[in-house]
Formats: sequence, structure tokens, C-alpha cells
Amino acid sequence: MTHSHPVIIGVGRTKFGEHYEREPEKLIEEAWLKASVSAGIERKDLDAGYLADYFLPITNKIGIEEGFLSELTELHMPMEKTRSFSSALLNACTAIQAGRYDLVLVGGVEKMTDRWDKIRDDLMLLEDPWSYYAGSTPEANHELMLREYVKRHRLAGSELETFNMALAQIAVKNHKNAVQNEYAQYQREITVETVLKERKKAQKPLGLFDFAPVSDGATAIILANPEKAKKTADPPVYVAASDSATDYVTYPARDDITGFIASAIAMRNALKKAEITQNDIQIAELYDQSTFLEMVSLEDLGFSKRGTAWQSIAESLNDSQRFYRVNDKELYVNTNGGLKADGNPLGATGGAQIYEIVHQLQGKAGNRQVTTGTDLQLGCALELEGFGTKAYVHILKRGD
Amino acid sequence: MSSEPIERRVSYIGDRLRGSRCSLCGKEYFRPRDYCGTCGRKSFEKMQDMDFFYKKGELEVCTLVKEPTNKFTRLGPYVYGIISFDDGQVRVPGRLTDRLLTNKEIDVTALEGREVVPRFRRRYAVEQSDVIPTIALAFTLAEEYYPHQEHQIVKPQKEYERPGIVGYGAYTSKFRIKESAVERSVPFIDEDSITAAVEAGKMAIIHSGIDPLMVAKVYVGSESNPYAVKPIASKVAQVLKLGEEDKERGVQTVDAVDTEFACKAATCMFKDASALVYYPSARGHFTMVIGTDNSQAAPRDEPGGELDFFVGYGASAFIFGMSDVIAEMEDWCSCTSDTPDFWRRDQESYPRHGGRFTGEPAYFKHVTKAAEKLMDKMRLQPKDVTYFVSHQPNVAFPIKVANQLGFKEEQFMPGIQVTRFGNTYSGSSPIGLAAVLDIAKPHDRIVMVSYGSGAGSDAYSLLVTDQILDKRNRQKFTIRYQAENKSLEYVDYETYRRLKLGM
Repeated sequence: MTHSHPVIIGVGRTKFGEHYEREPEKLIEEAWLKASVSAGIERKDLDAGYLADYFLPITNKIGIEEGFLSELTELHMPMEKTRSFSSALLNACTAIQAGRYDLVLVGGVEKMTDRWDKIRDDLMLLEDPWSYYAGSTPEANHELMLREYVKRHRLAGSELETFNMALAQIAVKNHKNAVQNEYAQYQREITVETVLKERKKAQKPLGLFDFAPVSDGATAIILANPEKAKKTADPPVYVAASDSATDYVTYPARDDITGFIASAIAMRNALKKAEITQNDIQIAELYDQSTFLEMVSLEDLGFSKRGTAWQSIAESLNDSQRFYRVNDKELYVNTNGGLKADGNPLGATGGAQIYEIVHQLQGKAGNRQVTTGTDLQLGCALELEGFGTKAYVHILKRGD
Repeated sequence: MSSEPIERRVSYIGDRLRGSRCSLCGKEYFRPRDYCGTCGRKSFEKMQDMDFFYKKGELEVCTLVKEPTNKFTRLGPYVYGIISFDDGQVRVPGRLTDRLLTNKEIDVTALEGREVVPRFRRRYAVEQSDVIPTIALAFTLAEEYYPHQEHQIVKPQKEYERPGIVGYGAYTSKFRIKESAVERSVPFIDEDSITAAVEAGKMAIIHSGIDPLMVAKVYVGSESNPYAVKPIASKVAQVLKLGEEDKERGVQTVDAVDTEFACKAATCMFKDASALVYYPSARGHFTMVIGTDNSQAAPRDEPGGELDFFVGYGASAFIFGMSDVIAEMEDWCSCTSDTPDFWRRDQESYPRHGGRFTGEPAYFKHVTKAAEKLMDKMRLQPKDVTYFVSHQPNVAFPIKVANQLGFKEEQFMPGIQVTRFGNTYSGSSPIGLAAVLDIAKPHDRIVMVSYGSGAGSDAYSLLVTDQILDKRNRQKFTIRYQAENKSLEYVDYETYRRLKLGM
């Protein structure tokens, strides 16, 4: 492992869900304090902070968010705000690799339940204004992409049934994983019947249990220059690659509406930088805003060929496995429960993905620790902004 | 509260579906752009303006939205999807409108692949005090009620000595309420007098074959403008691109004005519109007069509720000019008196009535006065007139007044449309005129007399030309087509009130 890769020396998070009584700054405080404890650092050790929230100033009518962290750290350090945790992490990695900073706090926070009444309007308007004007909803784009996928790959009859069942099994798998995750929003199992019942109620291919919830929460990590860090975690986890790509904000206007080209580009570049192939990755945190997106992301990231991910999922989950068998290898996906069950507080979500991969790579994931034939070495996280408008891929690698 | 600049920008693009085409590679884009993504820097200043307003699209994929975002909830469940134009070159998001969906399952697969036409509608619901957002990302199926029609500009071929009608269009909605023998047009929930005015104007442009940039002035008569202050005519001018367009400023070189005089708000401007195109420096130009109303009536159990049995919804647009005229304006006569038979005070939702249908001192007096005076002036006998059209608040009045004036059934019945669309207020006698023009032969003479409460009448004599036949095949969306369409949807009284109230 080349040591120019930034190293994650501490992680922290809150429980995801509704934090009715707590202010947003209390959430980020909890995450940051946990991360600093796990990193064994003091606030004065920090050189800079990168903080993410998707639309906290809109939902919570607050001032400059960097002020929260500034008050908590009592440091007048440089601080920048991004929309997603992965964006904050990418910026932090760049700064460390450029030699600008040596120890950086990366955080994310969101408080969506404070504006329950208008959250879907805000989400849709930010995600894709012209689709919003035309009457779209946050769920509608997922449904359209699913329908296009089914048409493109000519799924019908028993194949279509298996496909629909595979998506339901994704939700069941993610809920099962979340049971072992003390921070998850939904620590309870569900059955395929529950997923199907909700679809039937909605008379749609995706129902309530196919979609990630609205959540509050915060996450934080401490990122360091490995050569300057006083001590690293044991074993250390490096950010082997950090990449992103963008696409049109108007989903219908894109050339391909059956997947996210931004995810594919970000992954391709990240793999190149990490000097590995997707087959080397053993654990992945994917952005399952819907069960369908978890499936299609397997294809976007190159784990499965176009039009085949649902088959791998169906075969793997039928055997009650916790992993997907793709390319004759085991791939563990969303071991924390994914956005579906762990929760999806937008600006903080990417931090929960990193939190999970770090714990898994270190073998410290407790009851949800995945076991593979070989030790876990490589994991990746995919985070999206909007409906595939921006994609971030981070590849994490365990050091010795 | 709505943002004025954002509303302006969104509706400027969305009302007409403006876009760009790269003149180098031909790639098309929804929304104007200065730069082609494929061709890069060399495309700068090589992008052509275009729009999808007169095009036909294809609904590629769709889904049923049952839990919309807040501003769309009043629509009820609706179909939302992706529409492509020009063989998939451009894709836009869109909502299918004019569909009253219940919560029972609908087969969206059956809708996919179908051809759709962009319509002009309210975008979503806003506060009563806000700017009303509009958009053309609302579509209907091309094979249903509203057909796709190309807009082709036809070079003027013949000049006339006197001005006249060069094209017209009428628009009524797909929904109807039927009570006893009377059918009435009911707006869909995203329609109002502004949207109907634009649709009628679009039809008139298609029918006339004129270049909209040659329109010098547009008049819109209405008594149901959803704004107390803000003209409908400015929206019509912008969306239909009337007059010369200054692309830099997004401004049309055209005059636009709203007029108000109850049900004669539009017809009173026919002579002004004709006079304007006759003015020497306006030669070659056209004027457009639109009458549009989502005719107002209080619910039946409230004061003024007697109107609720008769009100309709619709608009008509007439283009006047000196070239390629289909009906020459021979002469006119108007009369006015201060008769308070029908009124609506500021801030009141619904008009009030004298409590009875004020036929004698109001309708009959003015209609007969204007008609008789015109016919005297022109030395016309009833037999010299092929068709007689009058304002039609109900079915009894126009029949009675036509009989009083000595006209026969075959002369006045073709123009009586109130039994099919209801009283469309400013559009009432003009829709009758449109129905007659739909069937008129060259050299037919039409006498039309409007009536507006308050009160007054305008009488016109029109002489049909040979060119009416050339233009007739350009318009599929005729009065008869709208009245006898297989896609009409009938609603009950509760639904009618809900739809009429709008979003």
C-alpha cells in the first residue's frame, strides 16, 4: 500500500431515524465526538473541516452550517461545506494528498423530519426542477427507470416475476442486516410478503418497503496524512481511490435512462487509481434509495453485466446467503442495512457507508461482521446526489 | 410566495417548450442553449432556436402518481412519464392531463408508445395571491379529443379591398356535464380562461396559416380572468410568439390588451381589429381577437346560482387581416345602454343577476336594435342573409330573437351551440360564428349579433369568400368535431364544480 493514500483514523455516527427533540448541531456534535474519541485526537489537532448537508438550510432555516462545527471545536479552522458526505471526503482526500492539511474532520448531517410536510417537494425540486414542474415525485423516477429496464431487457413472465421477487429480497436482506446495526433506523426484519403487500396496495412495481425512508442523523470521520499521523487505527484503513462524475440534472434528458452513467464513470476511474478490478472488491455499500437502485448499481459499477444483476441477486438470496454471487465471487452489499433500513439522512448517509466499510475491514463489525474465505481487504462505497446527477465512488483498503 | 424572475424564466421556456438545435450536427435540446455538447466550442453562435409547441411526441415510459408533491395534490392521481420528440432526439418529463383517474388500477403499459400532444396548462396549485404558474409539459393523447396539427406558414396569395377574418379557432375542453337536453363544456382542473385563450389562439394560427410575427395586436375579452390586474393578452402574445421577437430581451413587438364588457368583451373588438389592419402603415399585418371564459356561476343554492345551469367553458380566436380573407367584414353596428342586468363587484367570486333572466329590457332590446340598424344601413332583408348568429345564454333567447327578426330555422339553428357547450360568455356568439364558418360556402352572408350585459350589442355582417374552402382542411378541431367527439367525458355535478373551481 502506498502511503500517499489518506488514512481513516476514526469514525463516528448517530443513530439514524427521527430525532424530534434534538437540534441538528447536537447530532453533528455526537458524531464528531465519537469520531474524535475513536481517533484519539483533540480538537486542536485538526487542520480543517469538511461538512456536508444536502439541504439543511432549507429544511431547518438555519444559518451557516460550518458555524456548528466551529462552535463545537472552538477552532477558527478552514471549513468547507458540500452537499454529500462523499463530496466532503473527496475534497478532504484531495487536500491531504496535495499536502495542504494533515488532519481533517469530515462530517455530514441532515434533519429531514423537521419538515415532514414539504420534504418531498424540496427533495424533488432539488433533484430535478423540470421534472418537478412536470409533476414528478421522488419515487416516480425510480419507477420510470425500472419500467425502462424491464422493457430494455425484455423481462416478462417468470423472468419478470423473479426480477420483482429479487427486488423484494433486497429489502428483506437489508432489513435483516440492520437488525445487527445498533444505529439503524429500522432494526427489525421484514418478509417478502410485507414488501409485496405494499406494492399491491400501491398497485406499483415498487412499494413503501422498496424505498429508503426520510431520516435525521449525522456521521463523522477523521482523515489523516498517513506519514504525519501520530497513530493510525489497527489495522489502518486507507482511502485507495476517491472519484466522482456528473450527469444532467434532468433525468429524462439523459442519453441512457436505464442506469447511471455517472456511477459507471466514477467507478472506472476509481478502479484505475486503486489499481484493482471490480472483482477484487469484497464488500460494497450501494446507494439503495430504492431496491431497484441497489440492483442497477451492481450493473453500473460493473459487478454484473447489463440486464443480469437481478438473476445473481435472486440466485444468491434464494440460498439465504448474505452475499451476492457475482463473477463467481462473493460480494457483500449494504451490510449495515443500506439506505433502506439503516436510514438515509442525505448529507450524512455517505458517512454511514464509510463507517460500515471501515468496521468490516477492521473486523470490528460485531454481529454483522461478514465472513469470507479470505480476509476482507477491499470495499467500495457508491453515493449519489440527486437521481444519478452526481456519483461518488470511494475505494477503501485495509492496511497491514 | 412566488418569485417573479423565476416564474418569468420557467414559463418563458416551459409555456412553449423552447429549445435549441445545433446547426452543425443537428442535435436538439429542450431548453435554449448557446453551445452543443457534442460539437463543443465550434457550435457557439451556431445554435438555432426551436420549440416543441406544435410538435407531436411519444410517451416512452410512464407511471401512475398517486401521492404527488404538495402542489400537485389537487390534480388527484395522474400519469407522469417521459416524452420524446423527433424520433427520440429530445426527451422531456411530462404529465398526462385531461384524465380523471380513480384509485383503481390503470394499465400504464397501454399508454406507453402512444403519441401525445403538448398542451398549455396551469403547472400546479399556488396561493391565491401568487402568480399563476403555467407550463406545456402537460400532454394529451394525440388520438383522443385534441388532435395534433402542424403549423405551416402559408405565403399570402390574395389581397382584399376590405379587411376580414383570415382564420379562426375555437377551443372547448374534453369534459362535459349533461343535464336534460343541454351539454356544457367543463374545464379540466388545470384549465382556466388563460389556458383556453392560448389554445384557441394556437388553433387560429394553424387555421389561418399566417406567420405569427405579422400580428400587430391581440385583444382578449373575458370576464373570468383569474387576475384582477394582469392581462391574459400578454401571456397569449408571449406563448404564441405574436409580433416580432426580440430574442435578447425576450420581448414581442406586439400590442396586447384585455377588454371587458360581459359577454361582448371580444366581439366589440372585431371592428377595431379590422380597422387597425386597414391602417396604411399596418398593411400586411394581422390582428387577433380572443373571447375566453371559464364562465362564472355561484353554486345552485347560493344567490346568482341560477347561472349554474347554463355556464360553459371555452374560447374562440379570430384573426383579422387584408390578405387571404375567408370572410370579409361588410359593415357593423353597435348599441349601448346603462342596463345593470348582470354584474360582479370587485373581490366577489361570482357574478350576480337581476334575479331573473332579463330578456326584455336587456337581451332582446339590444340584439334587435343592433341587428335591425345594421340591416337597415345595409338594406338587407332576412332572405339576403344565409346564417344568423346571436349571443346564446340559453337556448330560448337566440331562437326567439331570430324569429322576431324574421329569420328561419335553417338560418339560425346552425349557429346555436349553447346546447353543446353551455354559455361560454365572451366566447358564446363567436363559437356560434365559428360553427357557421365551419360549414359556410363562398358568397354566404353571415350576420352575427353579440350581447353583453351592462349592456350592449355588436352586429356584424360578414361575406364569405372562395378562400374559405382552401383553408378548411387545415382545421380538424372544428366545432362539430368537438361537439360529437368520441373521447368526450361526462362528469357529475360535484365533479363539475370541483373542476370548474380549478387548482
